[in-house]
Amino acid sequence: MLPLLHAGGVSMRKLYPYLLLIPTFVIIIMFIYYPAGSALKLSLYKTSPFGNRTIYVGLRNFRQLFEDPEYLYAVRFTLIYVSVSVAITIFMSFIIAYMLTRGVPGTRIYRTFLFAPYAVSPAIAGTLWTFLLNPVVGHVNYFFAKLFGIQVAWLTSKPYAFYALIFATVWKMLPFDMIFYIASIQDVSLDIIEASTLDGANTMTRVWRIIFPLVSPITFYLVIMNIVTTMFSSFAIVDVMTSGGPGGYTTNMIYKLYLDAFTFQKRGPAAAESMIMFAIMLVVTIIYFSFAERKVHYQ
Amino acid sequence: MKKLFVVFLLLALVATLSLAKVKIQFWHAMGGWRIDFLAQQAEKFNATHPDIEVQVQYTGSYRDTLNKLIVSVQAGAAPHVVQVFDVGTQIMVDGGIAVPVGDLMANDPTFDLGKFLPQVLSYYRVNGKLYSMPFNSSNAILYYNKTIFKEAGLDPDKPPRTFEEFKEAARTITKYYQGNVVGFGFNLHSWFFEQLMAAQSAPMCDNNNGRTGRPTKAVFNNEAGLKIFEWLNDMKKEGTMIETKVEDWTGARNLFISQKAAMLLSSTSDVALMMNASKENGFEFGTAFLPTPADAPAGGAVIGGGSLWIIGGHPDKEIQAAWEFVKFMADTEQQIEWHKATGYFPVRKDAVEQLLFSGYYAQYPDHLTALMQLMLSEQNYNARGAIIGAYPEIRTAVEQNLEKMFGGELTPAEALKRAEEAATRAIKEYNEVY
Repeated sequence: MLPLLHAGGVSMRKLYPYLLLIPTFVIIIMFIYYPAGSALKLSLYKTSPFGNRTIYVGLRNFRQLFEDPEYLYAVRFTLIYVSVSVAITIFMSFIIAYMLTRGVPGTRIYRTFLFAPYAVSPAIAGTLWTFLLNPVVGHVNYFFAKLFGIQVAWLTSKPYAFYALIFATVWKMLPFDMIFYIASIQDVSLDIIEASTLDGANTMTRVWRIIFPLVSPITFYLVIMNIVTTMFSSFAIVDVMTSGGPGGYTTNMIYKLYLDAFTFQKRGPAAAESMIMFAIMLVVTIIYFSFAERKVHYQ
Repeated sequence: MKKLFVVFLLLALVATLSLAKVKIQFWHAMGGWRIDFLAQQAEKFNATHPDIEVQVQYTGSYRDTLNKLIVSVQAGAAPHVVQVFDVGTQIMVDGGIAVPVGDLMANDPTFDLGKFLPQVLSYYRVNGKLYSMPFNSSNAILYYNKTIFKEAGLDPDKPPRTFEEFKEAARTITKYYQGNVVGFGFNLHSWFFEQLMAAQSAPMCDNNNGRTGRPTKAVFNNEAGLKIFEWLNDMKKEGTMIETKVEDWTGARNLFISQKAAMLLSSTSDVALMMNASKENGFEFGTAFLPTPADAPAGGAVIGGGSLWIIGGHPDKEIQAAWEFVKFMADTEQQIEWHKATGYFPVRKDAVEQLLFSGYYAQYPDHLTALMQLMLSEQNYNARGAIIGAYPEIRTAVEQNLEKMFGGELTPAEALKRAEEAATRAIKEYNEVY
């Protein structure tokens, strides 16, 4: 403790933690609360691209969004995109993690390879898949043409653009979940496993009835993290792979927001969209903290 | 002692000179090797103008550059000179942040506007005023693979001139190569729709394409528009066309360079690139004017590319320095070098003359195609191209509905109608604040 603070006595000691917190708060306020506040304000206005003309429109930006079929489609698409990609990722990462904890020879090598996509930035991942899925010179179509004699326009036709997007998203998100699952599966007490084996439980029962429930806190954590990732960070993958096409088919909420804000220069509606996304995440977080904390089995 | 004094004097001189230097920022959107090229041009300017220092910065795509400009203007840290794309013109004028170059020209007796191509000036003139300096100007031309044409039994010196001939050529090629090569690679960009509209002398929006007043609605759902949509749809259905994803210039170029597509519509700014690529990949290519329907009225080519804007809010001395730099970039020598290195055509008459007399075009006729297309253009509001504030959103509307048409969800007539409705909505929304 600094001598200076001693002199101040109890009151100074009480203030000390707040003093230390000031830098953090300054940064949080500057980069999170202030921008969030301005976004809220902006969502109530129509603004010219350079901000030299603004008119107050109240909630009209929101009303127009909910009347806009394109925006409603983006919301629906986001829902499907998020639930499908999160479900697949959780399921696959759990299975792979389980297999990697079985002591197969070369586990470490597999783990390293499987973890590699996590180290790749979303934009690079998108570019990579764009090359692989190129309808004319891509490797995927080369094999498809050789094996089955078909050529698919992966990124420019329905419903393949959606499949391609899901595939790339899962590929990118899987390693993160996998590492968490490996750690938590390794944490499951061997006694329980042994007891279940003695009781005659087969592998399927052991995995789905014992291990999966035991790692449920991690599953809940991962579901939330994956929802956040697919809601907000999917921008780069969508932009690079499909640009929201064909015909707006793969335009999700975050990509629509980007288009409105930075391509069409409609800051007001875009701010309203960010408020809607904020509200959705708020709900998800509340569900997580109230429902999950109670229902999830903690060891 | 004397020596020391001289050294001291020299040092003082250098110090004052460097202090007196006016520093100006120049932001541009020309990626790739062109970053170095523009940096060299700025260095040349700095060398010949010892009292000015231009700092060049590549600020990403046209869209990124415009976004950065908007943020920097609001933060009070705007650059002096910035390159803005063609469709950003109305947004810039409405933003009221620029010093119109027309005003600077009027105060500069050394500057002769008569040396510039009138077609280029008339595109960038808004309400009779020249706001920005034309810099990199282009229009869309047809690239075709002569080697493939020859092999498929087509005359390599007779590129298709009409939509009908174009479709027939695409059919012949696709059939000859059994689908391993398709006739046409289409970069799904609304710019080509706009160019093909102007080529038929058809309007995009009301108020004479926005040239005699702020547009209030889109009007491209007409015969000319339908012909374009149907033309594309026919080729898609026949399997004689591959489309890229939206605004994928690189993807479209690669279709042509890898000889998967025999014909391509692209900007003339690709000419230099294509000359190298065709040599590397062992094929010959030719360029031609845009095709039009056989019975279409004569139209013209719309200026594309970008222009240089001088942003206000800086001290007079800096604005003058910025003007010097903009003048330099639009000067004869720079325009010729820029033209040869890229394919953007010169915006000046004397540059064209010099190139013509030096025999450059006899050697590289593909560099002349876009220029001739522009020179032979009709001069009317429709051929000149539209000026609309909401253009970026209109482009997306056209592209999305084209994609839906290619996917078989909409007929050409429906797709065109929806695109026009979406465009009108965008125009109305833009006009709300003005």
